[in-house]
Order: sequence, then C-alpha cells, then structure tokens
Amino acid sequence: MPEFLKGNYKLDAKIEDKADATDSTDEFEKKALSRLGGSICFVSKKSLMWQGEAQPKASRATPGNGDKDKAKADGAGPKDR
Amino acid sequence: MELGRKIAEALEAATFERVAGVGLANAEANRSRIARSVLDLAETPLGAGEAAIVVGAGPSLYRRRSLERLRAAGFAGTIVAADGALGACLRAGVVPHVVVSVDPHPERIVRWFGDPTLSAPRGDDYFRRQEMDPTFHGDELAANRALVELVNAYGPKIKVAAATSAAPAVVERCEQAGMDLYWWNPMYDDYDAPDSLSRRLWEMNGLPCLNGGGNVGTAAWVLTHAVLAKARIGLIGIDLGYAPGTPYEKTQYYPELVEILGDRHREAFIHTTHPETGEVWFSDPAYHWFREVFLEMARSADCRTVNCTEGGLLFGPGITTATLDSFLAEAAGDTTRHG
Repeated sequence: MPEFLKGNYKLDAKIEDKADATDSTDEFEKKALSRLGGSICFVSKKSLMWQGEAQPKASRATPGNGDKDKAKADGAGPKDR
Repeated sequence: MELGRKIAEALEAATFERVAGVGLANAEANRSRIARSVLDLAETPLGAGEAAIVVGAGPSLYRRRSLERLRAAGFAGTIVAADGALGACLRAGVVPHVVVSVDPHPERIVRWFGDPTLSAPRGDDYFRRQEMDPTFHGDELAANRALVELVNAYGPKIKVAAATSAAPAVVERCEQAGMDLYWWNPMYDDYDAPDSLSRRLWEMNGLPCLNGGGNVGTAAWVLTHAVLAKARIGLIGIDLGYAPGTPYEKTQYYPELVEILGDRHREAFIHTTHPETGEVWFSDPAYHWFREVFLEMARSADCRTVNCTEGGLLFGPGITTATLDSFLAEAAGDTTRHG
C-alpha cells in the first residue's frame, strides 16, 4: 500500500484474514456446482478409450490417420473385426 | 456471458466432484462380480454390418416415434441403448443388443431396469420427471411391474456394458434378470497425470477406461465407436435438450437450479433454434455441456455420426443430420450388398 494512503489512526474492529472466507466460498460453490454435473466424467483432450500401457496399439489404426486414431484409443484398441 | 453457459464451463470439474467418490466406492464393491471386459463384446455376435443405432431417452423417441419406426424397418445392425431408454425400447418391441449403465446413484438407476422391490412411489421424483412415456405418468407402480416383467423376459437376450461405477443394486438386478455383464471403467481424469485415479482403477481391475462424455447416452456412442468399432452410427433419442413447450419444472436439474440460483434459475436455461426444423429447443447448463462435449468428441472420431433424432440440439461439425428412414434405408442397402 502506498505510504500516503495509510491511516494515521487505529481501528477498534479486528480485520479477519479473508483467505478462510474465500476458501469456504469456493468450497460451497464447488459443492453446489457438483449437483449440476453429469453422471460420468469427461476428460478433455484425451482419447475415447484407454487400455493402460504395455499393450499393443489399436489394430485398426492406420498410418496417416494418427489424430483420429489417437482420439479413438490409446493403448490396445479393439481387435480386428 | 449468459449464466447457463458460464455454469456449463465449470461442469467438467463439477462432474468429477459429483461422481468420482461414489464411482470408485462402487468399483470396489463390484470388484468380485467382474468376470468379463467390455472388450469381449467386440468378439460377440451382435447386429450385422458396420451400422449401429444408439438409443438415448430423449423426448424425440416419442415425438418422432423413432423406436416404432426402427422396429418396422427391421434394422439388422447393432442396437445399443442407454439404460434410461431400455423400457421404451422393450415397450416398442425393440430388444437392444447392448444396454449401457454408468450412473453411480445408489437408488435411482435400478428403476430403468424395473425395480422388483418397489412397493410404493418414492419421494424422489427424479424418475417421474424424466420418464417421457405417458404411460408412466398414470399408475407408476403398475408401469414398474410391467417393466420388471419385460426385463425379466428379455434380459437373457441383452448384454449390459456396465461401468464399474454402476450401483450394486443395478448390477444385482441385471444379474437377476439373466443379463450378461461386460465391464469397463469410466475415465475419471488424465491417465497420464501423476496420481491419476483412472490409472489406479486400471491397475486395480485391468479394465479399459472409456471417456464418458458426461452422460450415459454419450457413453453409449463412445462404446459403439471405440469398442464395437462401428463405422456408421445413427442416433435416436439423443436430443441433449428439452423439447419446445417443456415446463422448466419437468427438466432434469430443475430442483438443483432452483436451490442454487433461487429466482435467477430461469436465466440458466439456454434456448436454441434448430437450423432445419426451426423449432426452439432449450438446454440447462448440464445439457449444454453434454452437447459441447459430444461435438468435441465427434469432431475427432473416426466414424460417421448421423443424428436421426429429427430435432434436438445435437448439430454442428462432426455430426451429420438425416431422417431416421434414410439412415435405415442406407443401412439396409449395405446389409443387402454385403450379405
């Protein structure tokens, strides 16, 4: 705070740290919003299916179509059908 | 920015908050029942050809008589239904090959399969508000009993793609009705992130994680594309919005919106004109988010997604719109050509 704005008097009231109040407001908003959410998560920018690691890549994946196949499945995809 | 759109932007995180805890607890509770992966479904004979129909429980099912038309056309492809649409399917004489269930709620979802334990209407009006079939607006108990009988009769012919988040009561009901269960994990978070819950879940049960898109209808589309590898997917009953004239109090999240926003709850609804029908449909923040998510997923998906709802709010890049009849005619042509 600039020096010239500082008061030259003392306050009787105690100023609470606003951090706790902000946290509780955030928590309330979070809980309230959660009631408006869906029944299953969506994870943006991730594939439609993930099968863990150390498994072969999706057999339907074709070279040159990487983005679309990545969007479809990371890890092993469905077997050839 | 409109209030509804502003709330929608926060729903990716809010949904995690809503479902992760109970979903993981259900995964633990369901662990001993898991015998098959959803990947086994890909090896199981379902419908013929590369076309599939995904059935959601939206109002267009009744407005457009989509299921009756599907049945009359004798569609030979694969039919995948959201659990909320199972009753409508069976009442219309359509037996889906696969039903998808994801919602972890401990009491509500079993009603979509017919609840044999229901002896009096419950205080929770979730089911009454959402069941679009007018037969349910009369004698709820009689309608439930009829659904119990239908599911018991056709259950052995239906496979359930069950998320590990599904409530144990739903799992028990499906098993009791003779349905075969095929399991998968909902993707809760970025599996590449440190301490990822999705990764921990996969390490626990070895099942694939599907990116669910916020709701069971979208999850059914993901499964049909990513697991069953269907190249052409028609959507019915996936409106991702409310039909013109629907009272706000009949919408899915109405009680929550009123409780959270009070008098401002009306500002949360978003109205949109359908570019082809000219009808004004509307969504709430959740359905607006579902729509945005579906469009994002469809844009990068390696399949053709055809919205055959003949209404609703799902249109945009990555989605083709067509009448159900034209989709079915094209699929029938394919089946004839390829046997």
